[in-house]
Amino acid sequence: MQINIPYATETRPDTGLHNAKLGIWLFLASEVMLFGVLFSSYVLLRVGAESWPRGADILDVPLGAINTIILIASSITMVRSWTSLLKNDFKNFRLLLSTTELLGVIFLVVKCAEYRLKFEHGLYPSGSTFLAIYFTMTGLHALHLLGGIVVNAYHLVSGKRQWNLNPEKFTHRIEAAGLYWHFVDLIWIILFPLLYLT
Amino acid sequence: MSLKAFHIFFISLSSLLSFGMAAWTIFLKNDALLGIVFAILAFFLVVYGVRFLMNQKNVSFL
Amino acid sequence: MENHETQISKPKSRLFFLSTDHKTIGILYGFTGLLFLLLGFSIMMLMRWQLAFPGQPIPFIGSWFGQDRAPGGIMLPEFYNQLGAMHGTIMVFLGVVPIVVGAFGNYLVPLQIGAPDMAFPKLNLMSYWLYVLGGLCALSSFFMPGGAAQSGWTSYPPLADIATAGQTFWLIAIIFLALSSMLNSINIITTIVQLRAKGLTFMRLPFFVWAQFVTGFLLLLAFPALEAASVLQLMDRLAGTSFFLPSGLVVSGQPLSVSGGGSPLLWQHLFWFLAHPEVYVLILPAMGIVAEILANNTRKPLWGYRSMVYATIFLGFMSFLVWAHHMFLTGMGTIISGFFQATTMIISIPSVVILLALLISLWGGSIRFTTPMLFALAFLPMFGIGGLTGLPLGLTISDIPLHDTYYVIGHFHYIVALGTVFAIFGGIYYWFPKLTGRKMNDALGRIHFAGSLIFMNGVFFPMFILGLAGVSRRLWDGGAQYQFAQHVLHWHEFMSISAWLLAVFQIPFIVNLFWSIRKGKKVRENYWDATTLEWAASSPPPHGNFFPLPEVYRSPYEYSVPGYTEDFLPQNRFMEEGSGLKEKG
Repeated sequence: MQINIPYATETRPDTGLHNAKLGIWLFLASEVMLFGVLFSSYVLLRVGAESWPRGADILDVPLGAINTIILIASSITMVRSWTSLLKNDFKNFRLLLSTTELLGVIFLVVKCAEYRLKFEHGLYPSGSTFLAIYFTMTGLHALHLLGGIVVNAYHLVSGKRQWNLNPEKFTHRIEAAGLYWHFVDLIWIILFPLLYLT
Repeated sequence: MSLKAFHIFFISLSSLLSFGMAAWTIFLKNDALLGIVFAILAFFLVVYGVRFLMNQKNVSFL
Repeated sequence: MENHETQISKPKSRLFFLSTDHKTIGILYGFTGLLFLLLGFSIMMLMRWQLAFPGQPIPFIGSWFGQDRAPGGIMLPEFYNQLGAMHGTIMVFLGVVPIVVGAFGNYLVPLQIGAPDMAFPKLNLMSYWLYVLGGLCALSSFFMPGGAAQSGWTSYPPLADIATAGQTFWLIAIIFLALSSMLNSINIITTIVQLRAKGLTFMRLPFFVWAQFVTGFLLLLAFPALEAASVLQLMDRLAGTSFFLPSGLVVSGQPLSVSGGGSPLLWQHLFWFLAHPEVYVLILPAMGIVAEILANNTRKPLWGYRSMVYATIFLGFMSFLVWAHHMFLTGMGTIISGFFQATTMIISIPSVVILLALLISLWGGSIRFTTPMLFALAFLPMFGIGGLTGLPLGLTISDIPLHDTYYVIGHFHYIVALGTVFAIFGGIYYWFPKLTGRKMNDALGRIHFAGSLIFMNGVFFPMFILGLAGVSRRLWDGGAQYQFAQHVLHWHEFMSISAWLLAVFQIPFIVNLFWSIRKGKKVRENYWDATTLEWAASSPPPHGNFFPLPEVYRSPYEYSVPGYTEDFLPQNRFMEEGSGLKEKG
């Protein structure tokens, strides 16, 4: 026996939503609280500290800047992969989503190189509260990005099958994945000036 | 809010950051290269954002 | 536009514990939660021996715990602390919340709104297994070197930061539970917004669904705070950071080598930012259950349904603004204390509105004293005591002598044990015919009710006396080392004996539950003559619940409608125009 969940793909007229869109926004609301708490902790710790180092003196600003550009670019390719699905252009979608994946991986590689550079100079999380919050927040952000990469990899591998089965639903899925991807990028847009520049 | 709306929001914030970053590097750090890169990025993002809005007129904001 | 755009949810597995059906998951949640509730209760009974007879070997089972926990059957202080911390953790995070949200929410919300299943059935299953994983993580910590977490269920640093390895497991368990309840709350909110049956507007939702809706938002937005705090404390314990360790901390005479600059107060803020909304997560669904039972058994509509709904929303909102009333003694400053004292007094208003509305609902009703109704009726005064004794704790001046005494324990157990747990029992008796098609035995149910009511009061009321005498809640010997406590210590014995007798009176319930599943009296589908949608499905409802999906024509509690032949008018019953009945709402 099989049952159909209403409004899984089609829009419910009185709420103007399909289930996945409401679900992903609720998830993002929860994520906003998670990072919001970390940002507030950062503020509290910084305000309470006797001295706080300037991020630019410790962290590698050019590497962080490159990563920022990479993430902005990945958002653009992500959104364009979605719009090409709206135009029924699956080939272009595949190309753009692969590019997004590649940019995401490059970001993580640069991040790892940055961490390694810090460790080589003997800068560990236990060194100071600034380094502690730096490693915690960027680490958590990197984990979120890794999650996004895994989701998109799933959509790349099974995309053809899903697209042939139900194109509208697959487009909704890519939109949800794109919303998450944008959220993770947005966190970086806030993290970067907060940690590297101030 | 659809991905379109979120993308617009994201691009506006990114261009703000890029302008800020350009100003920060040029005036405070005297790092002309990075500053110029971010100034170009900022202008590119503004242009891109406007073009994106024009091209995707038929996609809903909701 | 045929089927191709609707999600197909087919139970992939025949195995009961891998089913994506919301009813199966709800039952799994329920049994796991009840097991944890029993475990937390057993832990408490052990602690009560130590409190009543400090330093005496535990009879019969004392040798089970080994030399490093209870040498010669005499409980060590470290072991007592582990039991204390784990009692709180198990009861709140693994027992009551999974039952009220996971079990009742999962089982009833789709049924009450006329939906075939939850909006995301697979996520639902995942959230159950994350909960199990978190539970196993918490339990396995008992077998770690140094034992389980022993810094209280609040895990205040610096103590928790330097505690034994069990604390790390506690933190990992909390992260799993946070993920689990996030998925569950996303699911419940989406289900309520999106899958309501045709005609079921928000103001026609049963009050239980409203309570679950607000609860969902509390879990969704408050739990990330503890999740983030747990990540920070994990970093403190594993990576050597010092988020919660201040500079120059000295532990047993030795200065601790930390980078410094941390703030122990930060943990308390983050913890209570979750844990205060968590209190409303515990009580709101319970109020929902009680509202359902009351409306059904008074045979009249709930009094002030709309004001109850608005009060619930306001309560949910305000619960994010009161957390620091747990921290009046931390020295965070009188201005902040004043603010939180004011918000705390404000939040008591919506609670009183809901309780009063429930109370007034009794007025003029033709009350049926069924077993679930007894529990619901007992809930009202007991929750009242719990709520009123909370007011002195919310005022800074009276909180200073009462803070961290037995008074606090008495206060919140009146809310959670005599309030929420009573609502859970009532809910089980009330919806058992829906789950199984059979009813639970009334005689055993009444014995269970009377014993529980008497002995729960026997356990918790003396706590007010001890607390007002100033006995601290965290003492291993129950206060025997203090001169000032001597004149009230005899109450410990009274409370312990009440606790053990309370356990005896749970046996009828356990027997009743399992016996009635197979042998209970068979009853008709709408056994209680109820109006809400879950009674429109067959008992037990099949996978997919309704064939076809129901349509709703009126408010949830249309009992004793004047001019109608029966004394209840189900939400989905269609009435012809001009049948002599005026449509409401």
